[in-house]
Amino acid sequence: MNPANGGWLILLSLGLAMVLAVLHTPESWPQWLGWLRPAWLALVVFFWVMELPHRLGLISAWVIGLGADVLQADPLGLNGILLAGITYIAWRFYERLRMYSVIQQCGVVFLLVLGSELMRALVQDVAWGRGWSWGVLAPALMSMLIWPLVYLVLQRYRLQFRIE
Amino acid sequence: MLTGLALVSAVLISLEFTTRLLEPVRSVIGTVVSPLRYAAHSPYFLGSELGEMMATRHMLQERNDLLEQRVLELSQTALVVSNLKRENEQLRDLLGSQARLPDAGLIAELVAVVPTVNTHQIIIDKGVNAAVEVGQAVIDSEGLFGQIVEVEQAQARVLLVTDISHAVPVQINRNGVRSIAAGTGRLDRLELESVPTSADIVQGDLLETSGLGGRFPQGYPVGVVDSVVVEPTASYAQVSVRPAALLDRSRHVLVVTEGRQ
Repeated sequence: MNPANGGWLILLSLGLAMVLAVLHTPESWPQWLGWLRPAWLALVVFFWVMELPHRLGLISAWVIGLGADVLQADPLGLNGILLAGITYIAWRFYERLRMYSVIQQCGVVFLLVLGSELMRALVQDVAWGRGWSWGVLAPALMSMLIWPLVYLVLQRYRLQFRIE
Repeated sequence: MLTGLALVSAVLISLEFTTRLLEPVRSVIGTVVSPLRYAAHSPYFLGSELGEMMATRHMLQERNDLLEQRVLELSQTALVVSNLKRENEQLRDLLGSQARLPDAGLIAELVAVVPTVNTHQIIIDKGVNAAVEVGQAVIDSEGLFGQIVEVEQAQARVLLVTDISHAVPVQINRNGVRSIAAGTGRLDRLELESVPTSADIVQGDLLETSGLGGRFPQGYPVGVVDSVVVEPTASYAQVSVRPAALLDRSRHVLVVTEGRQ
């Protein structure tokens, strides 16, 4: 990732996504709200790779994943490979994805996040015996629902600061 | 490229689960990303600061009265305890057994909660710089809270007793029956593992750490037995325990730093 020409701004948005990913609700709020957290980091990475495939590569996505591993107390390398997977798919099909309507993009986001959550659940199940639950659907659904908003905001951000 | 990264990830993940080689790496990355954690926690921090600033004289007075009363109560208990301790030491002397080292504690404040839903972990504000080590027990004012699982420069990660991957050797304070209290993934419940149906455990029994296994110091309350269900056909009794520590409320915890056997 090149720090010039808005590289810092891309990093900033990724940092913000990480903050959103660890933000917790006040203790007095019901605990199930925690299930409604979209996969912020995956959404932001997906956006940047789709819009600017030459700026964010597999390795940088993987390195960002290392930070997410430590923040979310996942085994090292897990988020890295999940993000790299999303990056690969976004990079492979970015021309087609850009042509999609927002609704179609939502579907793609749903499948990508669902896939990565399933992988995460698999690793956690093998490692800690955490078991399976329908909970893996929640981040995928929430990410799908919030995607139009994320897309709008980041698109405005990108055009405003002319990140290319 | 992708397969390469997948391989690296797979190696890292399996290393992480089988060895402790990656702990320093985690600790370095953690130190780098810890500002993000602070940023996520800052609204609460600001809120509590503001709350303290806005507190009225009356409220402070009330709190002060409450605290004074508590100090009085506690110092009375402390008097009794010091008497008992001396007596206990004399008895131990008579028996010729080793005196127990007193436990030293380090007060730490909760700075973040690990956001993953199916795990119970928190971040505290003491790390390598305060000589916190992996494996140390963490308690709060009511009982055993958890243990340190990762140490960074100025922060450490604590696995709570209720996490599904956590278990602690316990004994019943009434009769010394030993067991293992495992987390269930629910904040208000632990379960005793492999309790024979004939074991003398009843509702209301207090569980404390047994000190077996050498990881947790002996004698800290873990929880109170909530219910004992004995199915006639099952080989083990189902014993559910309510944790003693205020897992979702405590802001300050104590890291037990010395006195481990």
